[in-house]
Amino acid sequence: MGRAHTLRDIAIGCLVVAVLAAIPWMLPGKAFQDFVIRCASMALFATSLNLLVGYTGLSSFGHGLFYGLGTYSFALLMQKTTVSLPLAFLLTLLISAATAVVVGAICIRLRLIYFAFVTLAMQMLAHSVIISWVGLTGGDQGLQGGIPRRVVAGIDLGNQYNLYVFSAAMLVIGLLLMRHIVATTFGTSLRMIRDNETRAAFLGISVWRVKLTVFVLAAVFASAGGMVMSLFVSGAYPELINWPISGDAIFAIVMGGVGSFLGPTVGTMILLLLNDVVTRQTEYYGLALGIIILLFALGLRRGVLDFVTERLGGRPAGGIH
Amino acid sequence: MDLDALLDCVTTSSCVVTQTVSGLIVGMLLFLVAAGLTLIFGVLKIVNFAHGTFYMLGAYLAYSVFVGTGSYVLGVLAGGAGMAVFGVVFERFLIRRVYGANVLMQLLICYAVVLICDDLVKIVWGPDFRAMGMPPEFQVPPFFIAGGVVPPFYLVLIAVTLLIGGALGLGLGLTRVGKTIRAAAINPDMVSALGINTTLLYSMVFAVGGMLAGLAGGLAAPVRSLTPGMGFSILIESFIVTVIGGMGSIAGALIAAVVLGLIRSFGTIGFPLFTEGLMYIAMIIILVVKPSGLFGKEIV
Amino acid sequence: MLQITGLTKRFGGISAISDVTMTFNPGTLTAVIGPNGAGKSTFFNLISGAFRPDAGEVLFKGENITGMNRAAIVRRGIGRAFQVASFFPSMTVAENLMAAIAAHRGQWADLNHRFPRQGVRARALEVAEMLGLQDSAGVLSANLSHGDQKLLDIAVALALEPSMLLLDEPTAGMGPEERWRMIEKVQRLWQVQNLTLAFIEHDMDIVFGIASSIRVLCYGRVLAEGTPAEIRANPAVIEAYLGTPDAEDDL
Repeated sequence: MGRAHTLRDIAIGCLVVAVLAAIPWMLPGKAFQDFVIRCASMALFATSLNLLVGYTGLSSFGHGLFYGLGTYSFALLMQKTTVSLPLAFLLTLLISAATAVVVGAICIRLRLIYFAFVTLAMQMLAHSVIISWVGLTGGDQGLQGGIPRRVVAGIDLGNQYNLYVFSAAMLVIGLLLMRHIVATTFGTSLRMIRDNETRAAFLGISVWRVKLTVFVLAAVFASAGGMVMSLFVSGAYPELINWPISGDAIFAIVMGGVGSFLGPTVGTMILLLLNDVVTRQTEYYGLALGIIILLFALGLRRGVLDFVTERLGGRPAGGIH
Repeated sequence: MDLDALLDCVTTSSCVVTQTVSGLIVGMLLFLVAAGLTLIFGVLKIVNFAHGTFYMLGAYLAYSVFVGTGSYVLGVLAGGAGMAVFGVVFERFLIRRVYGANVLMQLLICYAVVLICDDLVKIVWGPDFRAMGMPPEFQVPPFFIAGGVVPPFYLVLIAVTLLIGGALGLGLGLTRVGKTIRAAAINPDMVSALGINTTLLYSMVFAVGGMLAGLAGGLAAPVRSLTPGMGFSILIESFIVTVIGGMGSIAGALIAAVVLGLIRSFGTIGFPLFTEGLMYIAMIIILVVKPSGLFGKEIV
Repeated sequence: MLQITGLTKRFGGISAISDVTMTFNPGTLTAVIGPNGAGKSTFFNLISGAFRPDAGEVLFKGENITGMNRAAIVRRGIGRAFQVASFFPSMTVAENLMAAIAAHRGQWADLNHRFPRQGVRARALEVAEMLGLQDSAGVLSANLSHGDQKLLDIAVALALEPSMLLLDEPTAGMGPEERWRMIEKVQRLWQVQNLTLAFIEHDMDIVFGIASSIRVLCYGRVLAEGTPAEIRANPAVIEAYLGTPDAEDDL
């Protein structure tokens, strides 16, 4: 039965990539492709945050550290060394994982709000380092000069359409992997810890090991999202590791729904759509976005996808406590 | 990094005086903002992410009243009073709806308020930064203490913030409302058990918190440039202060604020680009060594 | 089965448990009683590894388990249920049990296979049946009645195949009829599963109705131990535990 589920998910994933790959043939123009690339990057990041927030009950405010680390590590490896793109990609995942082991070991023993703040402090510390280490990172100007060696196996990722399909595939692969993680027994351990940490410990689960593992996994997926963004913007910028990037991801998962696997993806689409539509209509983006957030948050009191699932008669989505 | 400059400074009395005074100003203003934040957290277990906005609005309000009336004192008072009212409105119409909800939902609501207020400030006062300038009564020659230049306004600022802090301490220690607030911060369950009107209590706490932030904004107006978004950096810093001091502890906030102010003023000399980084490192070290902050209670 | 010698735990300066020595024999159904604040729950917490004792020794099946962590003690076969039912509210009854079984089988870090792995579901339904929860297997545990939540808590403990079970007030918060239904299930469980079972209970009718042996704690010390008949006749118990002349009637 389990295998059937996995195969079904993979089939759906392939279908989504195929459909997305076909759309530009009917709907030319860069806007849609840009949207999907940004969406792919952000949705990977937001879904990885939801592994912590929604599934494990770890409210991190500083997950953007790993997103930003992904953009900077990848861009630096491509600019300052001669490694190939796939190797730079893997090395970046390794760097993020190693960083997450250290950061996680410090953070996960803190509770609730202290965990949230110390993760934020970690991110802001990384931001400060990047701003002040001008020689390596370009400081607040960002890492300019583009990403060289973009041709992988004959496919040029410098080409907009190729990057678009690549990003969509990255998103789907990332989502499938995370979907698998939450469906395993390890994924069940996450929910047990979120629901009742004491009981989970009494059942023989090593709570800190599970928390550290999921912290590292989430960091790896976040940095994959960061790399997609690095390819899109051809570099890395301090904004990509500053606090609002974590704010955006939190916004996406709370708006989309923490209790649904695809909630963060839906939330990301809402966020980026709002962003694009509102900035076109008015210069007072914050005012409009703020009012929309208030209406959503006070009206639904839960994420959009959670709301829909409950309305359709499903059981209340797990949610966070 | 410029450790030589830092060494030069700490061995020169004039530099030490100047940096200490400016560190104290930063610290004391930070304390006023952080005290409200920590009070709100202590009593309501709500993290008010919109607290920096109170500070910003207080500063702008003080600026407008000063421009209109020419009185700096009136401006500061207006900032405080205005933000007390704003705090009550904010609590009653927004925050009250998300008590007990997830902290991320609270974060989102506050984030919305920050976005809205930043844009409202742009609409009312314009997107460019504004400078209040030194009020005429303080445009007097500076003092020289041990060779260091100290504008009289700085001393007044320190004295006034100390007075407000003292009044806050006395108010919490001696008045009935203050005692209730303190009791509620220590043991929230007890308050409902004693039959205290929590609705009123929560409004009061937000009024006091808003007032302190508004006063801080007004007091800071002559020495800071006013911009939409000026609330964010003070918000982050006052979070660091509350976390280091222990969430819910006013005394902890005072000590942490002064320490942070000094780290900032001396850090600017030694590590001009990494001053903020120093504060984050301080916070991380404290939390690792003592997870509930210097004066915080252990949260089980 | 379980031998405790000189067990002591202080909080601050106050001794919650002082110099407690007692033995639980295999296959017994033991009630631990005592007035509020006697240290009963602390006692269970010490045995199950939630707290670390300041002094004393706990031997389980001859092995010294003093100061081991919760997980290690659970693996050795001491399960426990809590005064406030403790389970995983976002999961169904079956999922709760499957999660517990998977954890017990050491699969909790398994990132390769989907949950539940083979055999886990069947075993979960078996455990549900032991406590009569099979009909609510698909019900979200947060929506269960209070009594069923207490049963689920016990079932989660049973999923670990303990040889000894500690129940902290299995009937807490129940009406009189519900209590007896609960206690009958506990008694049947004890008989059928051949467990060594210890429970904390305030209802004296229940205690004297089913326990094969009784331990009385008072101010953190052992006041008395013995069969129900011995306890009933013990003047110290009557005096100290209930402290009124009419106490004998209650007993």
